[in-house]
Amino acid sequence: MPKIEVKKERFYRLIGKPYDRDTLEAKLTFAKGEVDDVDEQTGVLKLELNDTNRPDLWSTAGLARFLRILETGRIPEYTFFSRPGDSLDRHGSRGIRTVVVDPALKDIRPYIAAFAVQGPPVDANTLEDLIQSQEKLCGNYGRKRKTIAMGIYRSTLIQYPVHYDAVDPEQTKFQPLGFDRVMNLLEINREHPKGQEYGHIVAGFSKFPFLQDAKGECLSFPPIINSATIGAVEPGDTELFIELTGTDMDSLFLATNIVACDFADLGYTILPVEVQYPYDTPYGRKVVTPFYFQEPQRVSIAAIEKLLGEAFTSEQVLAALKRMGNRAEIRSAGKGNEASRSAEVVLYPPEYRNDFLHGVDIIEDVMIGVGMDHFKPVTPTDFTVGRLTDSETFARKVVVLMVGLGFQEMIFNYLGSRKDFIEKMRISGEDLIQIANPMSENYEFVRNSILPSLLQAESVSASAPYPHHIFEVGKVAKKDPSDVYGSKTYNYLGFLSAQSDAGFNLISAQLGALLYYLNVEYTLEEVEDPRFIPGRVAAVLVRGKPVGVIGEVAPEVLENWGIEMPCTAGELCLDWLY
Amino acid sequence: MGNDIVGIVQSLHPLEVRVLRAFRPGSILTVDLLQKNLSFNTGQANQVFSWLLAKGLLDETSRKTVRFYELTDLGKEWVQKGTPEERLLNHLKSSGPATLPELSRALSIENKDLGSAYGALSKEGVLGMNDQKQVVLKDLGKASRLNQVRKLLDRAVQKGFLAEQDLSAEELTLVQGMSKKRGATDSPFRTVERDEVEYRLRAEASEVQKELERRGLTGEEVGALTPEMLTKKTWKQVVFRKYNIKTPPTRVLMGRTNAYCDFLRSVKDKLCSLGFEEFDGPLVETEFWNSDALFMPQFHSARDIHDVYYVKDPTHAKEIEQPYLDQVAAAHEHGWKTGSRGWNYSFDRDFTRRLILRSQGTVLSAKQLPKAKIPGKYFGIVRCFRYDQVDATHLSDFYQTEGIVIGESVNLKTHLGFLRMFAEEIAGATEVKYVPGYFPFTEPSIEVHIKHPVLGWFELGGSGIFRPEVTEPLGVHVPVLAWGIGIDRMALMHLGLNDLRELFSYNIEHVRLRKGK
Repeated sequence: MPKIEVKKERFYRLIGKPYDRDTLEAKLTFAKGEVDDVDEQTGVLKLELNDTNRPDLWSTAGLARFLRILETGRIPEYTFFSRPGDSLDRHGSRGIRTVVVDPALKDIRPYIAAFAVQGPPVDANTLEDLIQSQEKLCGNYGRKRKTIAMGIYRSTLIQYPVHYDAVDPEQTKFQPLGFDRVMNLLEINREHPKGQEYGHIVAGFSKFPFLQDAKGECLSFPPIINSATIGAVEPGDTELFIELTGTDMDSLFLATNIVACDFADLGYTILPVEVQYPYDTPYGRKVVTPFYFQEPQRVSIAAIEKLLGEAFTSEQVLAALKRMGNRAEIRSAGKGNEASRSAEVVLYPPEYRNDFLHGVDIIEDVMIGVGMDHFKPVTPTDFTVGRLTDSETFARKVVVLMVGLGFQEMIFNYLGSRKDFIEKMRISGEDLIQIANPMSENYEFVRNSILPSLLQAESVSASAPYPHHIFEVGKVAKKDPSDVYGSKTYNYLGFLSAQSDAGFNLISAQLGALLYYLNVEYTLEEVEDPRFIPGRVAAVLVRGKPVGVIGEVAPEVLENWGIEMPCTAGELCLDWLY
Repeated sequence: MGNDIVGIVQSLHPLEVRVLRAFRPGSILTVDLLQKNLSFNTGQANQVFSWLLAKGLLDETSRKTVRFYELTDLGKEWVQKGTPEERLLNHLKSSGPATLPELSRALSIENKDLGSAYGALSKEGVLGMNDQKQVVLKDLGKASRLNQVRKLLDRAVQKGFLAEQDLSAEELTLVQGMSKKRGATDSPFRTVERDEVEYRLRAEASEVQKELERRGLTGEEVGALTPEMLTKKTWKQVVFRKYNIKTPPTRVLMGRTNAYCDFLRSVKDKLCSLGFEEFDGPLVETEFWNSDALFMPQFHSARDIHDVYYVKDPTHAKEIEQPYLDQVAAAHEHGWKTGSRGWNYSFDRDFTRRLILRSQGTVLSAKQLPKAKIPGKYFGIVRCFRYDQVDATHLSDFYQTEGIVIGESVNLKTHLGFLRMFAEEIAGATEVKYVPGYFPFTEPSIEVHIKHPVLGWFELGGSGIFRPEVTEPLGVHVPVLAWGIGIDRMALMHLGLNDLRELFSYNIEHVRLRKGK
C-alpha cells in the first residue's frame, strides 16, 4: 500500500477548501484512502492509498485533483496531450524538443517519454513533491525502477536534440549527482549508492542506457543517476526537462501523464517532446509525449444494474462517473425500452488513469460515485448447506478423545529452523520443505512432524506443574516426488507426555484408548527411529500401512532440547485413519 | 473473643479435640501421658503440643534432658548369642579347660576380645589359669556382674531402651561402662539424650472446651468414609468430622481444549450455520493459484504486497491443470473471452509453476471455483505464510479466514447483506460501515468496518465481487462474492491477549490457564 505525505496547506489550497479530520477521512474513502497520521506541528498529513492501480493518487497534486473534482464536478481540460499521429506541428514547435533513440536500446530499455515545463520558480515544497512522485511512481508502480525510472533536469542547460543512447559502460564517463568526480558507468554501479541499489537492472547488458544532449553533455545514466550539472535541479529553477524511461510503453506513458498533469495543476505550462525511434513501437516510430494512449471502455447499463443490484438512469450513471473524474457518454442502439436496456456507457479514461480493463471497473466507479450510503444491504436468500470438511469432523473427534485422556490441546507455528526441526531431532531431514528465501533462519523450514513443536513446548515449560500431557492436531508437509507439487500436506495428531515415570506402557495405553474409540484397528511393529530409545519405539500400522509412531523419546533428543523430564511422544497421520 | 473461640474450634484437628476433651485446664501434659491415656504415638503427641501451643492453649512448664541407653547392633547380637563372657563360661562348663587360642578358635571370638573377657572374669575370681595355660572355672558364685548384665540386656530388649531414671546407681555404672555415645559399633549400648517437656493446659482452654462440648465434638469424628465402613455398615456408629470447606483445594491438571482453537472452531461452526461449506488445501502452492488465477499480473506491484516464500526444492510444479492454465494465461495477455482487455504482456508459463508457501487464503477460493456448486457458499480458515519480520502484529504463519458466495443472486446489495451478517453474527458488531476497497481480484471491492462493543471501530475484513477475468477462465459464469475476515484481533480480545505470537504459545502453563471470554 503506497503511503504518501502531503503538506496540509498546499493540499487544501489545491482542493479549494480545507477539511477537518473526519471530513478528510470520509472523502478519502472515495479514493480508497485512509488517514494514517496527522502531524499538527508540521502540518503534514500521512495518507495511505490502497489502490495499487491508481498511481495518479500518490501525489499531493494528484490526490487533490481527485478530491477537487469530487467537490466541484469539474473535470480539468489538459490541452497538451498528443494523440496517435500527432507531431509537434500541432503544438507549433516542431523540431524544438526532440529525443533521438539509439537502435541498440531496443533490447535494453527501449522506451522513453519526455516533456519540458515552464512556470513559477520551483520551491522546496514542489521539489519534495517531485521526489515523492519519483519514489512512488518508479519505486512502487515502476517496480523499483525496473519498468519505470524518471529524471528531472535544468532545461535551460540542454541543447536539443537529446540523445537516448546505448553506450559502452567503461568508456562512458560523467560526474554523477552526489560525487565530486567523474566516473565511468561501471564505477557508478560499483560505488555510487544508487548504482549499488539499481545497477542490477542494467548489469546484464554489454551496453548501458545513457542520456546526453546535442553537445554531448550528460543528462543521466538511466535508470541509475543524474549528472551533477544538467541533472541538479535547484529551488528557483523555472524551466525543467522531465524524462521517463522504461520497458513497457503503457505504464511509462501513464507515469509520464501523471507527472505532466501534476505540473499543469501546479501552474506550469507543459511543452511536449517528440521521441524518434529507429524501431517500431506499439504507437509508431514518432511519438509526441505526453501522449493520450488510453482506449475507451464500455459497459451496458444492464450489467451495471445486475452487479450493483439496483436500477439507474443514464443521468445517474453519468453523474456518478463524472464525480469520479471520468468523461463518459451513453450510446444506445434501439428505441424506447429496448434502447434503455441495450444502452451502453462509453467511458473515456482520464489522461492519468489506465485502470479500466473491463466493464466492471466502470461499475465500481459508478458505485463509488453514487456513494456507498446509497446501497442498502439485502439479506441473501439462496439456500445452501453448511458443512465442515471430513478431516475437520474427524479431527474434532480426536480432540475430544485426547482431552478425555487428560491432554491439553496446543496450537503451534508451522515454520521453524534447521536446528529445531532436524538437528535436535537427530533426523536427516531430506523430506523437509526448505524455503529458498527465508527472512531468518528461525523460519526456514516447514515442519514435517509435530514432535519438534511438542518438544519445544516442553523445553520452555519445566516450571509448569507436572505431569504434562499435550497434543496438537495440525498440518505437516513433506516432500513427495510423486506429487505434482513435489510435496504433500497431511493432517496429523502429535501428542507428548512428560512425567518422571513416562514410559512406553503409558503411551501405548493412550494410543490404544484413542484408536479403540475411533474404531481403528491397529498393530504395533518394532522400528528403528533415532528420535526414540531403541526397543521402546513402535510403528503404528493400520491395515498394514504405517500411519505413525509412538515411543519413549531418546535422552539424546531430550538433552538437545534441554528437557530434564522423561517424555513419551507419538504422532499419527489422521488422513489415513478414516 | 466469641469469634476467636469459634475460629479456634473450627480449626482444631481431631487429635487436639481429643486432648481438650480429656484433660482439665491446669493439667500437666507429657508425651508419656498422651501415649498412656489416649494411645497417641510420640509423633502425634508432639504434633498436638505444637498445635495447641500455637493456639495459645498450652504453656511449656519444664524441659529437662533425659538420657536413654539403646541397644546397638552388637548389643542385639549379645542378647541373641550371649555376651563373650557368657559364651566363654558356657564353653568351659560343657567342654572343660582349654587354652586361650583354643577357645578363640572354638568360639570364633577374636583373641583381643577373648582376652578382655577372660581378664575381667579372672579379676573377679570366676576363672583362673592352670599350669598348662588352660583356662579353668574357679568360682561361679562370683559371677554376679555377669548376671546383672544379662538382666539389663533383657530389660533393654523388652522396653527398647533403658531409661537413666529407672536404673540403680550400680546398674547405671555398669551400663555407662558398656555405652558409647553416637552409634559406636563395638559397644552393646548407645547413649541417647532426649528432651522431656511438660506442658500445662491453660485456663483459656476452658472456653474452647465448653464450645466443644456444646457442639458435641469428641475428636472421634471420622474423616473419610471408607468402602469398609459401607460394607461393614460401621458408618452408622460414627460421626463425620466437619471439614473446613474454605481450605484451598489441590490443583487439578485436567485435559483441555486450547482457547484459540476453540475460538477458531466457533467461527467455523458459525459459518456452517450460515450455510457455508468448508474447504482446505495444501500448504505449498503455485504462483498460478496463489496469484495468477486471481488475475494479479505477474509484473504488477500488487504482488509486492504478497511477498512470498519460495520453495527451495523442487522449485516448480510439474504442471498446471488445463484448461485453466491456458485460459488464465489468455486472460492475462489479452482478456480471453472475459470482455477484458487483459494486462497486455506475455504471460510467463515457467514462473506460474513456481512453488511457494500459500500466502493468502483466496488461493483456495480460486481453486474451489471449477468444482463449486451453484448456488454455493464456501469458506476456509487456513494457514498462510508471509515474508514478514515476526513481531507482536506480524507472524510468519497465521490463519486467514476466507470464502466465496456463488450464485445468480450475488450483487452488491446481497454482498452488503452478507457482510452485515458476518459483522453481526461473527463479530457481534453493533454498527457496520462499508467503504470502497482495493483487491486486485475483485471489482467492485468493499471493506467492512464495524463498531465492536469492546474494540470500537475496526476493519473486519475485505471483500468484493470476483473480476470476470478470475471467474470465467475457471469456468464460472455467475457472480462470485469473495470475502476475507480478519479474526485475529477478535481472537486476541476474546483471549485477553495483545500479542499475536501468544496465539501460538509454546508455554504449557500459559495455555493451561488461558480461557476465552
